[in-house]
Amino acid sequence: MPITIAKLLKSTTHTDYVAQIYGSGEIADPPAPTDYAFGTFVRVPLGGNYGHLVGVIYDTMLLNPDFGNLGPRLSPAPDLAVFSPDYLAEKVTLVGIMAVGMVNATGHATQGVPPFAAAIDALVERMDDVQVRAFHRGNPALHLAYAPLLLRQGSPLILPLLEAIIGRLTALFPEHAALLAVVQDDLKWKAQIVPLGGAQ
Amino acid sequence: MNERPIGLTKGPGETPHEFLFVSPDREQALKVGEFVVYRAPVDGQERNILARVTQRQPLRLYPDAFLADPGVGPEQVATLLGYEQASPDLFELVATVIGYYDAALGDFINPRVPPRSGCPITLASDKLLAAVLSKRRADDTGAGHIGSLLSRPSGQVPVMLDLAAIASTHLAILASTGAGKSYLAAVLIEELLKPNNRAAILVVDPHGEYNTLIEMLNHPAFIAPEYRPDVQILKPDAVKVRVGTLTLGDLFYLLPNLSEKMSYLLRQVYREVCQRSQITRHDPERWTRGELIGALQKIAEDDDNKQDAGTAGALIWRLESVLEHQSAIFDDFHHLDLNRLFRPGRCSVLQLNEVDEREQQVTVATLLRRLFAARMKTQKGLVKEGDELYLPYPVFVLMEEAHRFAPAGGEAVSAGVLKTVLSEGRKFGVAVGLISQRPGKLDADVLSQCGTQCILRIVNPLDQNRVAESVETVGRDLLRELPALTKGQDIIAGEAVNTPVLCQVRQRYTPHGAESRNAPEEWLAYFAPEEQARRERESAPLAVPKRSGESKMFK
Repeated sequence: MPITIAKLLKSTTHTDYVAQIYGSGEIADPPAPTDYAFGTFVRVPLGGNYGHLVGVIYDTMLLNPDFGNLGPRLSPAPDLAVFSPDYLAEKVTLVGIMAVGMVNATGHATQGVPPFAAAIDALVERMDDVQVRAFHRGNPALHLAYAPLLLRQGSPLILPLLEAIIGRLTALFPEHAALLAVVQDDLKWKAQIVPLGGAQ
Repeated sequence: MNERPIGLTKGPGETPHEFLFVSPDREQALKVGEFVVYRAPVDGQERNILARVTQRQPLRLYPDAFLADPGVGPEQVATLLGYEQASPDLFELVATVIGYYDAALGDFINPRVPPRSGCPITLASDKLLAAVLSKRRADDTGAGHIGSLLSRPSGQVPVMLDLAAIASTHLAILASTGAGKSYLAAVLIEELLKPNNRAAILVVDPHGEYNTLIEMLNHPAFIAPEYRPDVQILKPDAVKVRVGTLTLGDLFYLLPNLSEKMSYLLRQVYREVCQRSQITRHDPERWTRGELIGALQKIAEDDDNKQDAGTAGALIWRLESVLEHQSAIFDDFHHLDLNRLFRPGRCSVLQLNEVDEREQQVTVATLLRRLFAARMKTQKGLVKEGDELYLPYPVFVLMEEAHRFAPAGGEAVSAGVLKTVLSEGRKFGVAVGLISQRPGKLDADVLSQCGTQCILRIVNPLDQNRVAESVETVGRDLLRELPALTKGQDIIAGEAVNTPVLCQVRQRYTPHGAESRNAPEEWLAYFAPEEQARRERESAPLAVPKRSGESKMFK
């Protein structure tokens, strides 16, 4: 049973989306922080018969319109829920989602830049282990073909993101642990040692 | 020709006759030394231009991090990260333009224009290479099938030496010990003695390695109607130098560190015996040791000249010691008969393995001197059939351990005459093949006079440098291959081939006679039960039979 965690608000590029995490009162079963954790795989239905866009949460932002308003208020904070519920709902958690591939209607997964874009307000679902495995399973090994795409983003969060992804994949594909360890080792070196002056 | 392009040109190389091309080379065909072809118009005519691959650099290398786990191949990591090409290899190759072959000229002509960018490069076909690399075709007179092109499957592209070029402009075979130089020399001798060549050869063999050539006598490869080669092995005791053929220089060389006075006396008596020999025997080279020593004795016994007596006595002692007591090669009347040594279709092997090094040098010096004189006099019509120095056919002398006879910076008595033969032998049909395992110790002038070079594996940097200095026909790119060659692989360059080639020497028809000894096996054999029993048997005291009636009890 997929867990809906957010809806898409906007995109900055063809692969970079911003989604708003559903808060309390917005859906029946709002997501827990573990559902939209850093490195969580999500999917977004593309509508029609196009299947799903697959993405990974690579950033989290907290949006608070009240930030900076330090002046006195007429209503105390607890009363706002009663008199101005809309205002209260403007405090949201946003997540950055990087599209890393897609799964078509028949379940065939492709990694890399997806050809289609998701729609505004499309629902974002957290992928379970079975779906994550299916997305990464190659023939005969596993696939991590979107890694170069992520590395080219230039964000300081990308190396920890890939480390988190590989950590999860190692648990899901123990038979490929040695192979993943080679990439993991390189990422760890680049994340931990190169900034301290280690050779690239 | 294989028309399927194997690469595309990228652009010009560092030098005007080099160009770069890029190839995936999935079949690993573009080895260093391999020949490729591109087509280009030259003087309005489309030509196949031959070039040789001299360098090969991979353009795509896996990141070092992909090589972190020996149990996980880098291609697995690449596949994980989305690179799923079957073969990622891409190479940049440097090729040196040789040119197009002009059959009328019998040589390559360099077009002097590098190929345009994007020009297809094809692998040169076996047929094309067989036609253009060698000057001669198989079984032509003067063709020597020495092996096949190293970059192609064995036997696919035969390498034929032009033996006529070798027999006029000389040859050098250079290699580290154990690289197969004697083997190559034997292959060359076999080719020279085949029915299509029938050469007159002398092999100077200081190690006694060429005995097995005798098996050529009955080998079908050498037998033709009305022809069967002749191989004669001259053992050290058959090697004779007639003392009359020794020059004053030879004598000084055999008697080092003579005092001024001794040198003066020797010069005096030498001139005297030569003159006397000219008068009495019409030949200044017929004097004997007795005459030389007799002339000195006369001085020693001269009461009017007491001061020279002691010197003459000492000189007599030294001459007797060198020319009579220490050596068996000097003789008053006999020496190696040139007409017996040299005859078309005959290979004479002069074994010098028990002869002192200085005497080896003197033997070679006197022999080469007589040989050169014989060829010169015969050529000029100064001698006639039946004369000792009448030698009416070109000859080829192959010398093992050539650095002994023309050492770098040394003063071997044979070096002078060897240089004369190398510089002037061409006119008179005397060719020399020098074989050396220490090119660094070989005189640079001597080495540079050899028109054809067969260079096998050389590891020593000094020897490599000497080869690079003295052998200008071999490019630096090929010389870089020297340490990497394995036994039986060689670089052939110079007059006998159209362009330098990397060659795999063919199998000999006759067995090889210079195999290394297997010392550990021989050590083990010492402890074999039958060997121990034999030693015990031989060291046991002889049993003396008792006489009848004799008893120890009543002694």
